[in-house]
Amino acid sequence: MAGEKTSKLPEAGQWPDRLAAVLLPLGAVVSVIGFLMAFLYAAPVNGASVEGVELIGGQMINTKLLISQKIFYFHMPVALVSFIALAFGAYYGARFLATKQQRFDTCSKIAMEIALVFVVATMATGEMWTRFEWGVWWYWEPRLTTYLVLMLIVIAYFILRNAIDDFERRGVYAAVISIVSLVDVPICFMVTRMIPSSVHPVVLRAGGMSGDMGMTVAVCMVGLLMVAFGLYRARFRQVRMAERVEALKELLDE
Amino acid sequence: MAERMQTARAQRTVEVSRPSTFSQYKALLRKDLEQEFRTKEMLTSMGIYALLVLVVYGAALGQTSKDLDILQMCGGLLWALIVFTSLLGLNRSFSHEKEQGCLEGILLVPLDRSVVFLAKATSNLLFLLAVEVVAVPLFFFFFLQGTSVASSFWLMVVPLLVGTVGVAGIGTLLSTITINTRGKDVMLAVLFIPLVFPLLYACVSSTTAVIVGAEGFMDVFVPAIALAAGYDVVMVLVSWVLYDYVVSA
Repeated sequence: MAGEKTSKLPEAGQWPDRLAAVLLPLGAVVSVIGFLMAFLYAAPVNGASVEGVELIGGQMINTKLLISQKIFYFHMPVALVSFIALAFGAYYGARFLATKQQRFDTCSKIAMEIALVFVVATMATGEMWTRFEWGVWWYWEPRLTTYLVLMLIVIAYFILRNAIDDFERRGVYAAVISIVSLVDVPICFMVTRMIPSSVHPVVLRAGGMSGDMGMTVAVCMVGLLMVAFGLYRARFRQVRMAERVEALKELLDE
Repeated sequence: MAERMQTARAQRTVEVSRPSTFSQYKALLRKDLEQEFRTKEMLTSMGIYALLVLVVYGAALGQTSKDLDILQMCGGLLWALIVFTSLLGLNRSFSHEKEQGCLEGILLVPLDRSVVFLAKATSNLLFLLAVEVVAVPLFFFFFLQGTSVASSFWLMVVPLLVGTVGVAGIGTLLSTITINTRGKDVMLAVLFIPLVFPLLYACVSSTTAVIVGAEGFMDVFVPAIALAAGYDVVMVLVSWVLYDYVVSA
């Protein structure tokens, strides 16, 4: 173990870090643009019908325009980014199992951390929608249920990491769980298509969204992907620096 | 000189019969079964636990009215019983291997590690099925007497079998992982319940469908079984592939 470290210190601060320093603020700006677009550019969506005809905003209408639908422009991109982060977590997990390099374990762990952030954000935005559109805070609907299970798996991943001391064993077990947890992602993604009675709308299909909605979602998606990547690299840099310091300390002790 | 040549020839002709993978599997499985038949440790503890869960159900349902439609709930109750009982069994299945250093002995044998997985998963499956053979009739005896159980109820054997295969497969992988962690009992539950959830959901819906036996129940039953079976195949394959890494870490 020590011999390995003297031959190769954990390196940090490669070129993607400089990219991340640009992409993180840029992603924030693009996300804000997406946020503004959701309110100013995308047309409001007709929702639940109002009893009879009502005068809203000087117009006689018989369906209520949904302001709560605006959360969708964040909800879906955030959920997709969480799936992508989970996929990367599993990918780096597989790389770790193949090579047993500490670097990939770190990558996998940080990808899962990013996934956790986005999974929690998806749950939070989803709950807002559920509350104002379906009238309840929680509903045991297939998509919600599978996504909750996904969140629990990601949390279990970190509980497992904390329960093991040995470095290599922790890496192997965490990698295995990150790969196994990926099985739930396609289930979660497909469940609204497989069970059509589900209340959760399916938007990723032909005619699911109008052009302006799709545009707004795309802008939010790009912005959030940049934010996710920037966060990932920033965290990676920090963790690798810490590992490097540890390795250097051990080197000095010898 | 001649002597040395003779020994060299003898070495060349020495025959090592390498046991087939299937005989390795049989040997490992027989070891688990024999150990269980001698100590009866897992079967008794799981059986008693299942009975106790039924008694708890008795208290939980004690205040409900007679005409409460227990048929709608029984699939879920039965599967909750199976999940908790299997958690108990899976926790124990590796602890005696670890305590007595048996696992290290097995790992010293030059065999494919996935055989260890298959043997262990099979023995877990057999123990779970043995407990279910007792627990499911008991469940009927306690809660479903005098109710109008549909005549298609015997089809629940299919979800029970499919579900138990999945539980044993993924549970074997997870119990191997958690045996080396701190607070292993809780750790197994934390990992096992979310991962097995899709399977549980499918099994509950198919079991309930055949017990209630409403018109067109096959439209619920068949897709649910297909989902459960697909989940089984994926999970057992993934566990099988990854087991080598887990058991040697």
